[in-house]
Parts: sequence; structure tokens; C-alpha cells
Amino acid sequence: MKILRASLFFLAVLAAGCEKVLDIDSTRTVGEKNMWNSLEDTRGALMGTYGLVRAAMADHNAHWLYGDVRPGEFKAPIRQDLKSIMANDLNASYESLEALSNWRRWFAVINSANLFLERVGDVKAADPRYTDNTMKVDIAQIRFLRAFAYFYMVRIWGDVPLITTSHDGNFENLPREDQLKVLAWAENEMKEAAKDLPYKYSAGDEQQPGNYYNENEARWEGALARKLTAYAVLAHIAAWQGDYPNVANYTKFVMDNYTRGNNGWTSTNDLTNSNGLFYNKKYNQLFGLNFDWGHVDASFTGHIEELTLAAPVINKSTPDIYLPKDSILSIFNEPQDQRFSIDTIGQPLSERYFTNFNGKYPIFSKIKVIMGGGTDPAFRIFSSAIVFTRLEDVALLRAEALAVLGEPQGAREMLNIIRELRGLEPYDEAVNGNLIDAIFKERQRELMGEGHRWYDLVRYHKIRGLDPAFTNLIQSGGIYWPVSRKLLNQNNELHQNPYWE
Amino acid sequence: MRSLYLLCFFLLLAGLRVPESYGYALQDPAVTVDPVRADSLEADSLGNPVKAFGAGESPVQEQLLFNNGLEREEPGFLTLFPAASLQQYLKGNAAGLYVLEPSGEPGTEQSMLIRGTPMPLLSAKDRYQAQPLVVLDGIPLIEEHPFAYDIQHYDFNRIGPATNLLTSIDLDNIESVEVLKDVSAAGIYGPRAANGVIVLRTKQPGIGRGISFNSYMGMVQRPGVTTINGEYENSFRRQFYDRYTATGQYTSDDIYPLYLSDSLNASYYGPSNWSEAYYRNAIIYGINASISGGTDRANFRFSLGTMNNEGVADETGLKRYSAMFHVNMKPVEWLVFSAMVNGNRVERDRNRNLRDRFAQMNYIPDLSAPLAPNKEEFSGLLTAYDNGYDDNKSNIVEGFGRLAIELGNFNMATRFAVDYNEGYRDLYYPRALMEGNSYASNYYGSNQRLIADNLATYDLDFASQHKLRLEAGQSVQWDTHKYNYAYAYKGYNDFIKLNLLDSDPKLPNGEDNPNYLVPSAFPRELVYKFLDQTKQNLVSFYGRAVYNYDDRFDVALLLRTDGSSNAQPTERWLFAPALTLGWDAEKDLLNSGSTVSALYVRAGAGRTGRLNAYDNFSQGPQYTAEIGFTGNLTTPGYNGFGVLTRPYSFGWVGYGIPWAYSDQLNLGVEAGLFDGRLRGSVDFYYKEDKNQLLGIPSFAQFGYQQSYETGMSVRNTGLDLILSGDILSRQEGLSWSAALNMNFNQNQLTALPRGLDELVIGDRLLRVGASVDQYWLWVNEGIYKADSEVPVRDGSPMKFNGITMKAGDPKWKDVNGDNQIDDQDRVLQGNMLPKVSGGFHNEFRYQNWSLNLNFYFNLGREILNQQMANRFDFINRENGRSISSVKEITYWEKRGEYSKYPLYNPWSSVMPYRAEQDLFLEDGSFLKLRTISIGYDLTDWIKSKQPGAARLFVYATANNVFTLTPYTGPDPELVSYTGYDTGYGLPIPRTFTLGIKMDLK
Repeated sequence: MKILRASLFFLAVLAAGCEKVLDIDSTRTVGEKNMWNSLEDTRGALMGTYGLVRAAMADHNAHWLYGDVRPGEFKAPIRQDLKSIMANDLNASYESLEALSNWRRWFAVINSANLFLERVGDVKAADPRYTDNTMKVDIAQIRFLRAFAYFYMVRIWGDVPLITTSHDGNFENLPREDQLKVLAWAENEMKEAAKDLPYKYSAGDEQQPGNYYNENEARWEGALARKLTAYAVLAHIAAWQGDYPNVANYTKFVMDNYTRGNNGWTSTNDLTNSNGLFYNKKYNQLFGLNFDWGHVDASFTGHIEELTLAAPVINKSTPDIYLPKDSILSIFNEPQDQRFSIDTIGQPLSERYFTNFNGKYPIFSKIKVIMGGGTDPAFRIFSSAIVFTRLEDVALLRAEALAVLGEPQGAREMLNIIRELRGLEPYDEAVNGNLIDAIFKERQRELMGEGHRWYDLVRYHKIRGLDPAFTNLIQSGGIYWPVSRKLLNQNNELHQNPYWE
Repeated sequence: MRSLYLLCFFLLLAGLRVPESYGYALQDPAVTVDPVRADSLEADSLGNPVKAFGAGESPVQEQLLFNNGLEREEPGFLTLFPAASLQQYLKGNAAGLYVLEPSGEPGTEQSMLIRGTPMPLLSAKDRYQAQPLVVLDGIPLIEEHPFAYDIQHYDFNRIGPATNLLTSIDLDNIESVEVLKDVSAAGIYGPRAANGVIVLRTKQPGIGRGISFNSYMGMVQRPGVTTINGEYENSFRRQFYDRYTATGQYTSDDIYPLYLSDSLNASYYGPSNWSEAYYRNAIIYGINASISGGTDRANFRFSLGTMNNEGVADETGLKRYSAMFHVNMKPVEWLVFSAMVNGNRVERDRNRNLRDRFAQMNYIPDLSAPLAPNKEEFSGLLTAYDNGYDDNKSNIVEGFGRLAIELGNFNMATRFAVDYNEGYRDLYYPRALMEGNSYASNYYGSNQRLIADNLATYDLDFASQHKLRLEAGQSVQWDTHKYNYAYAYKGYNDFIKLNLLDSDPKLPNGEDNPNYLVPSAFPRELVYKFLDQTKQNLVSFYGRAVYNYDDRFDVALLLRTDGSSNAQPTERWLFAPALTLGWDAEKDLLNSGSTVSALYVRAGAGRTGRLNAYDNFSQGPQYTAEIGFTGNLTTPGYNGFGVLTRPYSFGWVGYGIPWAYSDQLNLGVEAGLFDGRLRGSVDFYYKEDKNQLLGIPSFAQFGYQQSYETGMSVRNTGLDLILSGDILSRQEGLSWSAALNMNFNQNQLTALPRGLDELVIGDRLLRVGASVDQYWLWVNEGIYKADSEVPVRDGSPMKFNGITMKAGDPKWKDVNGDNQIDDQDRVLQGNMLPKVSGGFHNEFRYQNWSLNLNFYFNLGREILNQQMANRFDFINRENGRSISSVKEITYWEKRGEYSKYPLYNPWSSVMPYRAEQDLFLEDGSFLKLRTISIGYDLTDWIKSKQPGAARLFVYATANNVFTLTPYTGPDPELVSYTGYDTGYGLPIPRTFTLGIKMDLK
């Protein structure tokens, strides 16, 4: 008996020791107990949410396939999946189309943001270094990103589930919510966020005093969402709903205050240089998601360059997409356009927007941040930022709003800022035609390859209503993407967009 | 904390020598003494592991109670086959052990499955979790960990040397091999043994001097292949253009590939003689020499070996150097000390597939001009490789030290064992290989298992017919897996091939060097570095009682509890019992002189745990850095800051994940007829692996790719059958013995998490009640010759996933009759794993001559011929920019039958030549003559010349002689774990060897 008792005791000691052997804190992943304890955690989570936004836009080059490829103005000589997108054959069985119809990556942004909002208080309580102001600014950015994600999704799929809490561990299948409701919510969120966002970080802004996360201004320049960012995206949200009075309001804020955010007009050279606007991060990227070369963040994919560039700009025999010569000439039909124009004998004046114009495939080379913004054609790694909006975009949106609202004078002024910037004569109705048409044409030229064209077309046709086929597409919901079958399979509350059934 | 740890460690040094408790030297009385098998070393108290451990002979008839599935277990017989890996040795030799050999490239990873697969093999990672445990002299060998796949965009190969670690086993050092297939036998090895165990026991030293020498030398024969050139490919494609295009262009911006459009281009249209530079006749050899000696108080065995196994294609090859040392000492009567060290170096020359290279670099260059089928051009490419290197080295060391105390009935042993292996891959691709960009990569990874275990046994003496042994054991295993990996692009020149760092912390003027540790030979911005480490500890306690009554009834009861650090804190421990019963019916039922000369009936049932492979699962909800995207998985951060997000792509892991476990049942009969001339055993088994984790695609609205949930169960049922007989046995004349081993297996998915009935994961459908290894395919019923043939319902023609079908599209069967072809119309059919597999061995003897014929067969399995699908899907392959568009040099080899397939419209966006249809499903059954060998025993002759000699045997073999199969692809074995024949397997070559086995005293 004694022996038994002794050995039981012995075993108990042994078992206790073994529990320690079995308790290993993973070095590969951070368990819940080690998260939300310090400001490094909030920084990681905040940057992670930005990273997820970037991943959602970059995956399969989605931002450009949605925006620039879908209109069908670019042509695809080789890739069958791109041909299907151009033909609006979005049910076609290609991996990229499947990825583009799947909204999971956007909901990862939303979940990450929801989690942040729920847990940021833990860090505030645990880490005295985490100041009220930093928390306020962090929350504003997170709310901005979450609202942006919803706006982006509504443009792609129309109705989407509206989820504003993390549901951590209690996930449920939710149905899609009316897109107007989602947009109204997103617009409101973004307005709230805009109140707390500073114009600049670590630059003595009254709403963000001191060095943000102990880093200087150069580190943050253009990398994060700012007050102007929120207003620029708000203008887009309003425009997508046809709420032009608000577009005018939001854009006015940007126009009145852009100098406070160190923004300025981008010269044509800066726009098209390989180390210009799209390189790294800049204030002029009003909302930009950077792939910082210096931080070893360049990538082979997730850049417009992967689609558009080919020989002679980089070593690749044919581009994935190119703009045929005729299209180029009809779009860039004004002399002395610094972006692209031809002289009297039909030779291009510059190779800023198009290289190899006279070849079989004119190469759309406006954005060409090869490696660290160089010109070596050998290695196809790119570091251009994804620029969602910039000052010129906002100016043209303002022009559009004023034109629709019946203020042609103001619209012309806005339009002419851009035209002058690019070396064009001021707008003349006799030469350039209808003001709205001219504004949209200017958008097409200015923002080509930045993922805007499809949404511009939708707005344009909503305003003008001249193209019955497109109007029909808008009315029947054909402007949206099908919802991935994978999503429908795992959530029976979801239904396919009727157009794609 | 640390002291507790240490306490635990030392206290536990009072215990277990698991394998020895099973040590027995099966001397099958029915098998005539094989000259190869005959061992000159006498077993003495030190040579017999059971005795060395101190215990007497096991009271139960273990070889009968725990069927080991091998018809014979002597490696001498196995070593006639010049295999490079343990898997190759065992293939077709043990009923119930199935070996996948997806490539004939020496040293590549091969998988084993014992009694079917415990889970659907959905990704390369799953293979790791289905592997049996290999135990060498009691050391449970550690395997590579699949965690490195996390940073890989493509899972064709694991980063690093990706060498099959079981190539380090030199079968000339192995005394016996056992395959433990069910929990009654394997349970003692704990949760790592859930997939079965392969027990290897090395040759032990004996008393007196012994020298052995085993060697073979051989030739690998270059395969004959039919090559094709651009003209052939062009005319193949022209058929489609002629049928579906009016002008040779399907659309106005359609381009015909340049390399096929110029018939004057001699590179593509000239002679297709690349195979001369790609395939070769090669050399293989193996040498093993050992010396042993000692007395009954101390002895040792030392062996050295080397092996070279050159591949037949692409200058691949494997070299192994091994050394093994074994020592036993008995300083006093009651104390035995033993130690073993087995060190191996394995070097591998890898293939030079473009796909593997691009996948390694994660960079796909311009693919518009594939490799030309021209020998000169191909040789030019190979020359470019010579300026770089691809070194793959692995060092593999196992060893143990053991102290056993022998006090009559009570015995104790304490052991400390280590299994450590490290792999290096140093890689440099010069500029010429890739558009002027060089690439360097360095990998170092290691796997380490430390084991401290203790075992105590007590033999109870009953004066009567009762025999009882009690065992109590305990073990702790510490596993660490790690790797350091870096790669860099675009070196400044081709002379510095290393990723050098500026190593001076200070500048000459004494200031801190701002470039300290900054790469100097490659651009800093194009250098990527990875570190990863994972640990897993396993603590086990067990007790076992084995009991024998009157040599008639055997009973073994095992009770154990295991704790794993990869289990969640609330679910750390699992209790797992196993009970085995045996009845030697000979005495009770059989009269002397009956036809049935031996009869033994056994039954075993029990449970064993299954370990989680990843420590992620022990953490519950977690955070990691996952902000990558397709093609750029390993994004370092955002704006230069490390990030923390939920593991959205890995998947949601919640709390409350219990242990997975395997419930197993085995019923067997072993019988001998006609005085043992005909022997056989049949084992029925039932094995259900329950509560397994499965990533269920769900919660996309919360960002997750999938959710890991518990509750998947897979059942394998089947029969292992061994039949052997001495068909002819004359003392002086011809004798013929034949042996057949076979496994019939059927698997079934019995439950899915959440009680789901079915689940789609990628291209696979898992349905409860169906097999887990089935393909999920559309049923092909021909072709729509005209638009009018497409069925119309309610005015709308049949659609495929929303796309209207047209002329030239396949007529896929509308299974559910809704006039829509979609996933609902895919049908589960075909099996990736064979229903029947096994080997058939024949041995003929005439005087000193012996002739062996070994056959290997698989029946009832299907292969998806993706190679052919790719060939026909040339429009999408030609025009893609993805890894699947890469054309290897073997693109210019004619494989398969083109005429079998209808000519669809390859431009159609329904992708008519998608692999997932039964058009490409083929019967993959086969019968191979794996070895034919002729041997001559010179023992008598040598003894007459050299009194010290104990054995001399010479032999010649031919291996992989022929294959009979209905499969139209190159080889029905060269198939990945998914059942797809991708065409990437290098051929399993035909080899010829001459060998000698010699023992001297």
C-alpha cells in the first residue's frame, strides 16, 4: 500500500513536470494570449489590414482586370482568360476568373478591421505607451479601410453581406445586403473616419502630434490613409451612387485643402517616369498601397506592368494586354498631348504612354516601375504602388459633378487644370464636343491603367444613356461580377447575381 | 520551471526499450536455409536483443500473435534488388504495405501506406501525415516536416534537398525487417505508429571475429523512346485549325506559335535527337563491408558502405556513404551497456526540369519559345548549367546509448537516443539559364528527435503452465524541425555564386558599418530570407501485460496514455488501450498426422492516437503574417513593418480540438498444411481513423479560406493474404518454392466534420459512404458536332457553368437532368489507390544454383492521364503564363495514344480538354516482373580453399524487366499521390547487376 501511494505521488510529480514539456509556445504563430498586449500588436494589426487591402487588389492583378481589362478596349493577344473578361464572359472556367469572382480577400480586410476595433481597447489598457491619440488615429484608419473594402465590393458584386463585427468563433452564414444600404453605411463610416484622420503623419499635424509609432514623416509619407484620402474616396462613393451634390462637396474639400496634405499636381514626366509618381510611396498617391523597393517588397505580380509591359521595355515577347494603334489614335486625338500624340507625319512625339507604337503591339508603358524604378529590361519584378486615387482624379471627378449639376463654368475650370497640365489647349466645345464626353475622355487618357475605366464607363452611361446595350447591362446587373460558385456552395444564404445565373 | 523539466527528464530515464520487447528472430522453419540469409554470426546473449535487454524469451508467440505481413523478412533476399531506398526494397514484399514511387529519379521522396490511406490525400502536406513510422534499432526515425510548404507557391518539391531520408538505410546492415500493421503490434510505439510501423533491426555483433563483404555492380539501361519534332506537333494541331477555323485563326488576334509556324526552322523541324543528351546508360554499385568481434562480455560491429545509384535520365543520381558502429558491453553479470551510431551522408544530383527550376525560383520567364528537340541546342542548355551548381546533401545520424539492468525476473533499461538529420541545398543558376538573371539559393534544414525512455519488466514465475510478463514504460520525445532559407536574384556577375554579406561590423575608421550584413553580391532588395522552427514534444506512459497459458493461449493487454504538445491544452492526453488474443489451435484441434499441421488464430483490437502535424492547432485562434497573394505568398510586411493578421489563407482554428485516433481490429488465421509445405495466413482488418481535422471551405464572409474542424473519419477494411508453398522440394534435384502476398483494401469516408454528407475541396468531392480516393469527373459521351445537337430546354440550350454549349464541345452527361452541366454532374469514379496489390515470388533451386522471379502487381486502380489532357489542351497551355504552360524537353517524346480522343474545339471557354473528365481516366492495373536473379552458392568451394570462409554467394539480376498494363501512358507507377500522371516522373529504369556476398571468419 505504501509503495502504491509512493508511486502514485511519484507519478503525479512526473505528470506535472511533463505538462511543462508539453507546453510549447509556437514560434510560428502568435496565440491569442500573446496578441493585443502592446502597441507593436496594434501596429502589426493595422499594417496587416493595409496589407490585406493590397493583397485583395493585387491578387491575380484584380484591380486592373476589374477596371482596365473588362471594358475591352485593351486587347489580349494570348491569354484566354483575359479574352473572356473582355467579352464579358465572366463564367468562363479560368482560375483567374474564379479568383476575381471570390470576395474572400475583401472580407479578410473587413474581419481584420472588425477584430481590431473590438480588441484595440485591450492594448490601450495594457500598454501605457499606446496614447489616446494614436488609438484614435488607428481606429480612424481601420474604419476607413473597412468602408473602402465595402465600397470596392459593391462596385464589383452589387449587394454584399454587411458584417461589422468579427463574429470570432461564432461565424454564421449571412445573406447579402442591399447595396444602397451598404454604401450609405460605408459613406457614413468614412465621414466619421475623415474627422479623425490627420493630413499627414509624424509631421506636426494637429490631429496627430509627435512621431506616429515612433517613425518619422518619411516612413509614412503617402503610405497611410489621410484626411484627403477619405474625402477623395468619399467622392468616389458618392459618384457611384450618382449623388453628385455630395461629389461636389467632397471634392471641394480636397481642392481647398490639398496643399495641407502636401499634394500637388503631377507633371507628365513624373507621371510616366519609372521612378516617378508610382514609385515607392508619395503624398501625391492620395490613396496608394505601396510595394516599397527598399523594404524588399517588390513583386512579380500584382502590378499593371505584368499585364502591359513587353519588349522592348522588358524581356517578354508579347504583352498580356495592349491597346491597338487605332484605339490609341482615337483616344489621344489632340496635338501636343504630352502623354501621347503624333506629329504631322504620324510619328509619336514621345514614348511616355506608349512604346513601340509602330510595332505589332504598342506597349502601354505609362507605368513601368521595373525593379527599383530603373529601365533594365531583364528582370520582371516591379515595385509600383497601387494608386487608387490621386489629385487629378479628384479634379476630374469634380469637373464631372459640376457638369452634371449644371455648373459648366466650374467644370471647365477643373477640366482645364488637367488639360493644361498635359499640354493641351483649354477645352473648347467646338473642338472637344460635349463637356461630359470631354471630361470622361480626359479621365480615360489621364487615368488609363489605374483601374478606373470600367467604373467610369458605368457612370458615363448612367449619365448619358446613349448606348442602349450598356444601359441594358446596367439595368440587368450585368455590370457586376458573378459570385464565385465556391462562395455559393459554402453559404446557402447567398444567391447568384441574376444576370449570371 | 527548468528544474521541473530536468526532473521530468531524469526521472523518466528509467525505462523503455520499446522495440526490443518485440525482438525475436523469426526463423521460419519451413523456409529452406537461404545461402544469402545464412549468417555466420552466432547469436549469443549479447547478440540477441531480447536477451541483451535482460528479459528472457517473450512468453507469448509474438511472431504468430502479431502478424508482420512479410512473407519473408530476411533483407538478404531483399538486397538482390539494387534499390536506393527502403521503400523500393519493401515494395511488393509485404502484404498491406503499398509504396508510391512517382518518379524513377534516385532519392526522390516516396510515400508508403500501410493498409490504405487514413485520410484523403489532398495536398503534398497530407502525404506526410499518412506515413508509417520507421524504427531503426528502437529509434523511431524522424521525418521531414511539411511546414516548409507554407512559404512555397508550388508544392512539386519541398524546398531544400527534398531527399528521401530512407535512402540512408543500408539493407546490408539490417538483420530483420518487420512490418507492424495494426494496433495490437504497433500500439507499443504510441501515436506515431497510427499508420503502422516498419521495424528494422541491425545486425548484431557476435562472439569471435567476423568479416562480411557484400557488393554489387550494375548498369542502368537507357530507355528507348519515340521522339517527335515540330512538324509532328504542327500537323497534330493543324487538325484543329482545319476543323474549327476558316482562316487558320480562331479569332483575329489569335496567334499561331512562332516555333511551329516556320517549317524551315531546323531547331524545331529538324531531327528530334534530344534524347541522346537526356537519357543515358548509367552505372550503379553498392559496397558494404563489416567487421565484428568480441567475447561474451564485450563485442562490437563496425561497417562501412557506399552506394551509387545513377539515374537513367537527366544525369540524376544518388550517392550514399555510411558508417555504422555497434558496441555491447557487460561489465558485470547484471549490467549491459549498448551503444549504436549510424552515420550517413547522402548526396543527390537532381533533375533539371524547367518546371522545378521555375517553381524553385518562383519566376516564370517568357515561355513563347520552348526547348527545341534538337540535341545541339539542348546540349547548349545543359552546358549553361555547368556554370552553376545544385548541391543537395543530407547528413543523417542515429544513435543511442542504453543501460540495462538484469536482475533475473526484474529488468530495467534506460535509454537515450538521438535521430538527427540535416539537409543542405546550395543552388546557383547562372545568368545564361534565365534571360540574363542569375539566382542563388541556400537552404539548411534539420530535424532532430531526442528520446529518453525507460522500461521495466517483471517476469512472474508460476510453477505451472502460466507465464506472465509485466512491463511498464515511459518515454519523452523532443522533436525540433527548423530551416534557414534564403534566395536572391540577379547577382552582379556570374563569378560570385554565393549570397555574400558584408561581414564587417565596423568601418576602417571605427564607426559602425551601415552595410553590415547587407548582401554584397546580390541586390539587397532582391534577397529573401526565411527562418522557421517548430517543436513537438510527446510524453507517453504505458503498461503492458503479456500472458501465456500452456503454450496455447496468448494474451497481450496494452494500456497507454500519451500527451502531445501539438494537442490543445485542454485536450493534452489520450488514453489508448489495445488487447490481443491468440490461440494455438494445433494442440486442441489437430491430430498428429492431419493435413493441417499448424493452426493459429489471433484477434486484436485497440486504439491509438494520431498526432497533429502542426503546432498551429494547439494554439486555437491565432495571428500570423499572411498578407501575400497568388504568386507572391511570402510578402514580408506592409510599408516595411511586420504584420499580424488572422491566418486567413491557412484557415480558422478554434478551441476544443480533441485528439484524432485510430480504432483498429485485426482477425487472423495462420495455418500450415502438409507438414508445413504449404503455409498461409489471412488477416482481416478494420481500421477507422476518427476525429481527424479537415479544412472545410467556409467562413469566406469572415475572410477565411477554410475552417479546420474535427470529425472526419476514414475506414479501411481489407484482407492481408500470404500464401507460400514448396511446390517442388527434392534434396538433390530441382526445388521450387513460391510465395504470394496480397492485400485487398477498401476505404470509405464514414464521417465529415459538422455531420456533413459531402464536401467539395478543390477538384475532389468527399462524400460520406464513398471512397476517399475517388476522382470526381464529368462523364464524357462524345462530341456535339453541330450547334443543333446541343439539347434545348425551355428555349435555352444546355450550358456549362453558365456558358452556352456549342458545336465542338464535349457531350458531358447531364446527370441530374437540369440541362446545365456543372459540379452537380460530376460523378465519383475510379480509385487512385489499388484495391488489390501485392507480390508474387518464385524461387527455383538446383544444386548450388538458384533462380528468383519476383512479380509486383496492382489491380483495380485508375490513373488520370493529365499528360494527354495537357497535350490536347494546347491552346490554353500555349497561351498561359503559368507554370502549367511550361514545356519540358520531354514534350518532344511521343507518349500515349492520340487517336483515342475526339477532336474538340480547343478554343471553347468550356475547356473541352480539362483533365477532370472520364475521357482521361484509364485503368492503371499492372503486373511487373520486378526482379529476375540467378545465383550460385560457392560456399563449399570457398571453404575447401579457405577454411576461414563462411559463405560465398554470387548472383546476377535483371530488374524492372517488363510491365503488363492496359495503361497507355509511359508507366502506370509514375503517378503522383493525386492519381494524376503529370508526365514528370522520370522512368523507372531497367537495371542489370552482378553481385557477391561473402562472409569470413
